[in-house]
Amino acid sequence: MQKRHLLGVAMAAGALVLAGCGTGSSSDNTAGKSDNGTVTISGQNFPEAQIMAEIYATVLRANGYTPSLKLVSDRNVYMQTFPQSIDVVPEYVGGIVDYLLLQDDPKATLPTSSDPNTVISAAKPQLDKAGITLLDPSEAADTNAFFVTKKYSQDNNVTTLSDLKGKSVVLAAAPDCKGRLDCAGGLEDDYGIKITKILPLGFASQQTYNSVKTNESQLGETSTTDATLSHNNLVLLTDDKKIQPAQNLVPAISSDFLKANPDVATILNKVMAQMTTRELTQLNFDVTVNRQSPAVVAQDWVQGNR
Amino acid sequence: MNVGNMLSETWGYLSDSSHWTGADGLWTLMVQQLLLSITALVIAVVLGLPVALWLGHIGRGSLLAINVSNIGRAVPTFALLAILVTTDNPGVRSFGPYGRAGISTLIALTAFALPPIITNANVAIREVPDPVKESARGMGMTGWQLFSRVELPLGLPLIVSGIRLALVQVWATATIAALVAGPGLGNLITEGFYRTDYGMALGAAVVVAVVAFGLEMVGALVERSVDPTRKGGPGARDVSPVEA
Repeated sequence: MQKRHLLGVAMAAGALVLAGCGTGSSSDNTAGKSDNGTVTISGQNFPEAQIMAEIYATVLRANGYTPSLKLVSDRNVYMQTFPQSIDVVPEYVGGIVDYLLLQDDPKATLPTSSDPNTVISAAKPQLDKAGITLLDPSEAADTNAFFVTKKYSQDNNVTTLSDLKGKSVVLAAAPDCKGRLDCAGGLEDDYGIKITKILPLGFASQQTYNSVKTNESQLGETSTTDATLSHNNLVLLTDDKKIQPAQNLVPAISSDFLKANPDVATILNKVMAQMTTRELTQLNFDVTVNRQSPAVVAQDWVQGNR
Repeated sequence: MNVGNMLSETWGYLSDSSHWTGADGLWTLMVQQLLLSITALVIAVVLGLPVALWLGHIGRGSLLAINVSNIGRAVPTFALLAILVTTDNPGVRSFGPYGRAGISTLIALTAFALPPIITNANVAIREVPDPVKESARGMGMTGWQLFSRVELPLGLPLIVSGIRLALVQVWATATIAALVAGPGLGNLITEGFYRTDYGMALGAAVVVAVVAFGLEMVGALVERSVDPTRKGGPGARDVSPVEA
């Protein structure tokens, strides 16, 4: 196995050299950096995570790495081999921290702070134990968010979740919404919304949109970076009491890989500092509504921000 | 997570009696799903059995009937359900105890139940040996007598086995009702996976499997009891005087 692995690396390096000769593209600052080796990127394969993985791949390629993308449907899948055989994963602060805390202790209390750094430091022992380093969290955040139709918003004069206080609604949401502090639990306890029924139709799924559009439910669950809402005459309600824990985008890196390639931190931190929730929503729009490929959208965005 | 942990979590979930009771407990969800499965099965039997038996009796059109019903096998049940819920009618309308999208779910499950029922019933009647049929005709039996006294009793075990097959597969597939916010044990399976609560998800899956096994056993007993060639079966008295 070890031999085959080395052979693979040698072949990849050879291919890289050949590719370099063939295209002769040395216009950017990649000269002398073309042999940094392979970097395996994994992550989830919904549009936003695809875009982020492609952005990482684009900037790492520009810095002499050979990215290999392996996206899967679920965090549970790639976490089986991360950080052993996966180097980088585009993550969400709350997502990865909750996963590691629960992995460590299924009864762990999960952080509810909306400050990403507080959340990260809460999980420092688990991160160290897993051999995973989280780089700087981006300003861009993808948290749960709730939407109503434009008509409902106007008729009932509702723009924030607080405006729904005391109102009875049916909620279309992910199957795990019941009781969660960032979902039905928080809506009931913190906002005083009367949820008469939860339809487990999925997070930002077509069924959830349809259910709200047909007034079967009044409130639907999606994310802050959902680009399809205005297109469908749906509006997000502001989380004015901040019940959503920090779900800022953050690169998760194998600590061993980072030790061997410290420049990756600089490269990815720079790109994450440029990302905002608004821009991320726009990129999602380009993929989900305009049907562009995540790779093209990512490359264009990196070009525009160089 | 390793297999041992999963098993102990599953056992932990199932052995907590509070998970069995209440409006969304295992018992209630199991009854909901049984109702859904049995209703779909009854509809499929009422729709499919007479046609399949008749075509088997006249010995024609069987290929067509089997192939048409096989569409129910070829089209994924969830795909059919997903298409049905996007329609205006029946769509996602609630239907009594069958819950949200009840009619759509029943249609999808019925389509899935039809192929084994039709195929088995048809083959059961058609494959009654020709010499037996000819002797019956030679004794002066009419078409109806041939069917009701010879073909049906001889074919019954195979017919029942088709119904049993349909019941078990519909029961296990009925978990998809949860994907359109309908009733049944599927709700715990999807919720468990979303919450990374494998005890909940696997616990519900184990209940589905155990009930499937139970239904299979009951079906096998019924199948055995209707076999006319079995010793002590309904046809046995016709044989014993000859041997005596």
